[in-house]
Amino acid sequence: MKRPTVSLSASWQFPEPQIFTLAGGMKVWAFDLPGQHIAALEVVLPTSLAAEPRSIEGVATVALHSADEGTVSNPDGRISELLELQGAALHGQASQHSTRLGGDAPAHRLPEVITLLTEVIREPAFAPADIEHHVEMQVAAFDSRVASPGWVAKQALRQVLFGDEAREGRPGAGTPETLQHIGRDDVLAWHAAHWSGGDATLVLAGDFMDVNLASALAPMESWSGTTVASGVTVAEPRAAQLVLVDMPDAVQATIHAGSLTVGRRHPDWAALKLAGHAMCGAFASRLNLELREQQGYTYGVGGGFTARQDDGQFFVGGSFRVEVAADALRRLLAGLELAEPFTTAEIEDAKRYLVGVAPLANETASDIARQAAVLAAVGEHPAFVNEHFAALEIPTASQVSEAFQRHIQRDSVSVAISGPASTLVPALQAAGLDPVVVS
Amino acid sequence: MTDGRQLDYELVETTLDNGLRVCVQPDAHAPAVAVNIWYEVGSFDEEPHRTGFAHLFEHLMFQGSANVASGEHMSLVEANGGSVNATTSTDRTNYFETVPRGALELALWLEADRMSSLAITDANFAAQREVVKEEKRQRYDNQPYGDLLELLVAQHFHAEHPYGHLPIGSMAHLDDATLDDVQQFFDDWYRPSNARLVLCGPVEPDEAFALAQKYLGAVPARDRPHHIAVDPPHLPARQTITYGAVPHPLVYLSWPTPPAAHDDHLALDVALSILADGNTSRLHKSVVRSRRLAAEVHAASLPHLRSTSITTLMARPSEGVSTHITADALVEELARFADDGPTPEELARAVAQYERDWLLQLSTVEGRADLINDAWLTYCTPTYVNRHAAELAALDIDAIRDAVRTHLLAEPSQLHYLPTEVQS
Repeated sequence: MKRPTVSLSASWQFPEPQIFTLAGGMKVWAFDLPGQHIAALEVVLPTSLAAEPRSIEGVATVALHSADEGTVSNPDGRISELLELQGAALHGQASQHSTRLGGDAPAHRLPEVITLLTEVIREPAFAPADIEHHVEMQVAAFDSRVASPGWVAKQALRQVLFGDEAREGRPGAGTPETLQHIGRDDVLAWHAAHWSGGDATLVLAGDFMDVNLASALAPMESWSGTTVASGVTVAEPRAAQLVLVDMPDAVQATIHAGSLTVGRRHPDWAALKLAGHAMCGAFASRLNLELREQQGYTYGVGGGFTARQDDGQFFVGGSFRVEVAADALRRLLAGLELAEPFTTAEIEDAKRYLVGVAPLANETASDIARQAAVLAAVGEHPAFVNEHFAALEIPTASQVSEAFQRHIQRDSVSVAISGPASTLVPALQAAGLDPVVVS
Repeated sequence: MTDGRQLDYELVETTLDNGLRVCVQPDAHAPAVAVNIWYEVGSFDEEPHRTGFAHLFEHLMFQGSANVASGEHMSLVEANGGSVNATTSTDRTNYFETVPRGALELALWLEADRMSSLAITDANFAAQREVVKEEKRQRYDNQPYGDLLELLVAQHFHAEHPYGHLPIGSMAHLDDATLDDVQQFFDDWYRPSNARLVLCGPVEPDEAFALAQKYLGAVPARDRPHHIAVDPPHLPARQTITYGAVPHPLVYLSWPTPPAAHDDHLALDVALSILADGNTSRLHKSVVRSRRLAAEVHAASLPHLRSTSITTLMARPSEGVSTHITADALVEELARFADDGPTPEELARAVAQYERDWLLQLSTVEGRADLINDAWLTYCTPTYVNRHAAELAALDIDAIRDAVRTHLLAEPSQLHYLPTEVQS
């Protein structure tokens, strides 16, 4: 039977929120999405981990995770029980440049849920036992991460890209050394200084048919205050390195490679997103086809360009059995040299994927809220999504190739590997690669 | 539903002449259409000397067919703005793509082409065998506690039982496999009569059935294959102590529970949520917060379609507390729960949480299509997705308590997973 032809219809648009500011200064982005009966909320605080005192790094994470253990009005876990009764579940993440506290809940329960969430944000009890528990949980999580080859390679690459002296080069949730010094007073101080309504954005998405937003948001009205910005600086470029973290018992080499790049407001950004997809983002990307489908070296290669606060990052990585890892890395780095420019077919496929998959990636209220929260955290407007999709349509294959070559040079790409040094080092050296071994 | 809304998805079924079952869930407002095929074959159906084969086969289904080149299935779907993947469990292998409405015919044609024919070469067979080995290394061998699931399963099934091995299987068995084995596996299991197709999205049932007939109706009919019948394993509870390069001691208590379709599973799931889901749960309050014998407690289920399922409670002991002390505390608290049952509020909280999770899973066409196929295989009708929330709302305290009394009061198997350095 003949292969059917495909007809793709009109382009999709990211929804436009209603935007307003509450009396205390908090901005609200409200996405009314008919049919989305499970609503999503994201409170975005533009808080940088660089503001954490170095001796108690991890305090932002501990504060976030302890906040819903109890409040002044509903202590000892009662606040969480009340949220659960409303069908709500909270989640949160303290990342390098923002802290996000969010949740999912039935849309018609939003008034009750916002009341309870306000309590979590504004009057957490931070009971000593809860702080102690969450410090222990973060220490345990750290111990689990350092046993995981994927995290070890990821952290090693961060260290190479940013250096030990930059907050971004160190683990976001702290280390056992810093976590053990965190006490209730530190958490209270962090909360008082950095959880400020005047800086925050609340993203709400869901079916608001049964909700009076103005009255639902009343508990948040008076949340105010601002934090002195800690001043985000764009990382200084550092010399590319090849490091190997020795994990003698590992049965694979986990390879993470990358470099810092320009960010989402650079004229080349759309071209770079297309290039990243064609190079290592798609299943049918160049590097995945070569290293997985042809060579059988790996379960998969993944990567691409990611926007950060002001700049961006290129990443490519995968896990390879030890005996082929050196050849895999050699091929991977050679691929980044782009000896063969991207073809029109590759770039047209990348455009159709990146634009075409958007409606799927934004199908639920929680998808929309999460995407909007990312933009709110970096001070972007939600219309950025549609501007970006329009920009993706423009570059030609040769423009994409040129942009990739302008921003990614073989010599500027750093590589971090976790795996057994005793076998990997000689193999890498034989392939002309000379890693610095760290433990 | 606690908010009074009733789930009422339109679900329309038909069976094509070649035996392929098709269900359509029309959703005019969905952004794309989900094409979801479940072949009723998994690691349960493997020969004892060919474990891992169902999963290897899942990879080979992307390696080309009569009119589709190796890897082209994935690249075509991606290049049309779709998402595509497949997974293998003990009881089924699912293949799914979510595509813009204008690419629905292409997706059905791709599925039909590989249901009719395979075009595997020695070279891509060899490459995929290596890819699967890398998948096993990445997911299991190179991870702390990577053999935990295997150890847990071994407490409940003999190695030769169809559920006695994991879907990832034995790499030695895969090395021994030949292209003839591949063709045989395809002939045995990849038949229209052994598959269920769910379409979910902006397509009307009549048109969907016509398209299914046009593309998949031409695949030759074959008899529906049989799955072997097995008795429950009836192994005594056992204790396993294992050491490894792991960051923390963990203890797993586990019980044999009924097959996936059994009426008690929903009550058991809600009981596990009340016991161990989050910081408001019973075991967190008693064993973690109050008695300080554990740092965290979690629960999980491993459902099986054709024999005993496995239900587990897991704890990470507090610093300095032995896994045995923590295990005893879990058993004590479980006995207390079986006596008292949940409070009305505990039940209400767990039901509200379960319901939100269920609705979230249904909120994408991809997730919904997969749940419809799951209901179809497990309960023999896709309409179970419309009944599930009502059954949840009907649970009462007695049902929860009875499920725990019936299934979790027997002596559990215990798996103590300890860091090598505490070995004395």
